[in-house]
Amino acid sequence: MNAKKINIIVIFLLIITLFSACNKKKKGEEDEPEVQFDKTGMLTNYADNVFIPNFQYAKNGLDSFALAYNDFTQTKTEANLIIARQKFIIAYTRFQYISAFELGPSETELIRLVFNTYPCDSVQIKNNISAGVYDLSTPANIAAHGFPAIDYLLYGKNISDASLVALFDTDVNATNRTVYVTNCVTEMQTKLNAVIAGWNGGYKNTFTNSTGSDIGSSLGLLVNQLNYEVDLLKNGKLGIPLGKKTLGTPLPEKCEAYYANNVSIKLAQACLNNIENMYLGRSRNGSDGLGLDDYLDALKAQYVSGTLNDAIKNQFAIAKTKLALVNEPLSNEVINNAAVVDAAYLEIQKLLVLLKTDMPSVMGIIITYQDGDGD
Amino acid sequence: METAINHIKHYITKQVNIAPLAVFRMAFGFLMLGSVLRFIAKGWVYSMYIKPKVFFPFYGFEWVKPIDAEAMYAIFIALAIVSLCIALGFFYRLATIIFFVLFTYVELIDKTNYLNHYYFISIMSFIMMFLPANKAFALDTYFKKNIAVTHIPNYFVLLVKAQVFVVYFFAGVAKLNYDWLFEAQPLKIWLPANSEMPIIGDLLTQEWVAYFFSWFGCIYDLAIPFFLFIPRFVRPAYFFVIVFHLATSMLFNIGMFPYIMIALTTIFFREQFHIKIIDTLKAVFKVKNNSEILLEYKPSITYKKAITYVFVLHFAIQLVLPFRYLLYPGELFWTEQGFRFSWRVMLIEKAGTAFFYIKDKTTGKEIEVNNREYLTQMQEKMMATQPDMLINYAHFLKHEFELKGMKDVDVVAESYVTLNGSPSQLMVDKTTVLSSLENNYSNKSWILPFKQNH
Repeated sequence: MNAKKINIIVIFLLIITLFSACNKKKKGEEDEPEVQFDKTGMLTNYADNVFIPNFQYAKNGLDSFALAYNDFTQTKTEANLIIARQKFIIAYTRFQYISAFELGPSETELIRLVFNTYPCDSVQIKNNISAGVYDLSTPANIAAHGFPAIDYLLYGKNISDASLVALFDTDVNATNRTVYVTNCVTEMQTKLNAVIAGWNGGYKNTFTNSTGSDIGSSLGLLVNQLNYEVDLLKNGKLGIPLGKKTLGTPLPEKCEAYYANNVSIKLAQACLNNIENMYLGRSRNGSDGLGLDDYLDALKAQYVSGTLNDAIKNQFAIAKTKLALVNEPLSNEVINNAAVVDAAYLEIQKLLVLLKTDMPSVMGIIITYQDGDGD
Repeated sequence: METAINHIKHYITKQVNIAPLAVFRMAFGFLMLGSVLRFIAKGWVYSMYIKPKVFFPFYGFEWVKPIDAEAMYAIFIALAIVSLCIALGFFYRLATIIFFVLFTYVELIDKTNYLNHYYFISIMSFIMMFLPANKAFALDTYFKKNIAVTHIPNYFVLLVKAQVFVVYFFAGVAKLNYDWLFEAQPLKIWLPANSEMPIIGDLLTQEWVAYFFSWFGCIYDLAIPFFLFIPRFVRPAYFFVIVFHLATSMLFNIGMFPYIMIALTTIFFREQFHIKIIDTLKAVFKVKNNSEILLEYKPSITYKKAITYVFVLHFAIQLVLPFRYLLYPGELFWTEQGFRFSWRVMLIEKAGTAFFYIKDKTTGKEIEVNNREYLTQMQEKMMATQPDMLINYAHFLKHEFELKGMKDVDVVAESYVTLNGSPSQLMVDKTTVLSSLENNYSNKSWILPFKQNH
């Protein structure tokens, strides 16, 4: 036999061995036929039914606050202040429904940072107002704009509504203060409009066409942002006020919407709802489209005795229940009822583990641009 | 018996054409040049060696520290230059020594970035320091004609081949485990992640494909080094080398490694193949062909003795290291005790989330650490799943908080880890004071046992 013939036989034998090796395995197991998961369909659902409608929803909330605030600037009465505050809370709550979507245009516009860096820097805000000249986009003003700044200016601390209206009406800095809030609102409106324009422009296509599983893919960004948001909920909204970074000494002044002082939990609940919407691919009207949950099911991801998806959904339910047990104001609860807040905190941490460890792992999401060899 | 020994002796010491070694030198040099430039271009010098605030040194190499930004870039530029020198055979010996030292230094800075691929490059450059690969078709011979030879003892070529053999074979042995063969893990996770690929995307979501790839990969790694050694099988074997590495390159983000292996395994080809390459290059660059006369390179007795000691020791270590895990109890993939430096590639899908706490010893009160404040995303992931890195990080945190004025603190942690699709579970809990532990060779009995939970 010549060498060539042997070569062919060797290749042939190798292939046969390989096929038989896997065929044997196949006969042994009775798998249901694999269903090809529609990743593009999932991403399209996120864009069309989750992201874009929520941006619109947040924009409407912000616009109607802008109108109410404008009414207040025209007629500075306590009644108008109260209406403006109500619209402010609605806008702030609606923002929770877009906070997690920090990818593409939102990332470019730094939505989270601009809209919701708290606690606000009241000294910086006061200085800006008395100076009358400032640039809200500079790093110095990171904690001096967005919702937290407006929260501070519209509510204040230990001040009657009448005196607060006077600050906008008769105070020496009344005009500057009035304009400051307007500037904060306008800055947010401009940014949110840019985000919506970005999605309706080219980004929707970019997003739905990027179907890989690496760090820069839509799936990678989605999961990364989802986890980042759970982390912000756990640490920013609950952990830091609870004293998790300060040896158990509570820091009530670090609560979100500290000056309104009766909506911190409401905002946290909105945030958790939105995280759940993001996980499920659930739209504003409650219809549950293709989402991460369906992807996990398609991958047949298991968790102890059931599916990973069920474990995650179950954990969402537990976390929501525990969060609902916390009363307003949170600034009071972290001091007088810390155990209840801590219970919610711990359940959110468990949710974080599932969403940050189990889910990305079974999805094979790569968290780095670096080369790897799987160890 | 005696004839067998004589045969082996003859096989090892017989004079062979130097062409394969010269081609190998060029391939290695140019591939390293490309790899280093790619590394710099991707911004990895910054993200891996300048940006991090914390570095995770290897046990025994804690003294290896990164230098400032300019120096790190200078090192990578130096690596590019010496790679080119290696390719051209210019100050070859010095270039290989500098390459080995600098490359290994960089790899020792942070075990977050440990890859078997990088380990392979370190070892290969170490071997190359001892090879007479610049004695033909090199600038060194152009400037110093008297060092040129046409033939060298076979053992120089065999050193390279033996190392390639070790890499493949142990990578195959490592795949002989239950998860890989009978659960098709982690490929069952990694392949469907590529479901968006054209044509084969659908196929990758099929379970049998994961089994096929697992078995194919295992048999390939175990068989290929033997077939490469048998001249008449080199060509079909090389066909599989190309198929295998191109497939891995397509499916996983493993960078330059597949191309490095595809290029370097040509060392197994017959000398005629390499002679042809060199003749072609000579024709292209219009270099005079002066290798008509046979010139044998005969190393001095001292040199022969030296390389014998060095490489008997080297390969003894190579053969033992992959088995050191046997000295530790518990699941290897979970504890990772004796995991590195053993050619365990693509074996585990591991992810974790670690919560670290600084505990005041007197009051028992805690501070929860925000890992993101100190670690890159990659470091955070690696640290959460690797016990020795948990200890390193705990030490860092203790020091960090002491600097902040907190005396008498313990660092404890909870790390939830998933391995090959298992439910996440605690690898360490708060009863272990990580900051009071040291990394060493003894068993880390504090690692909580792995439960499959299925």
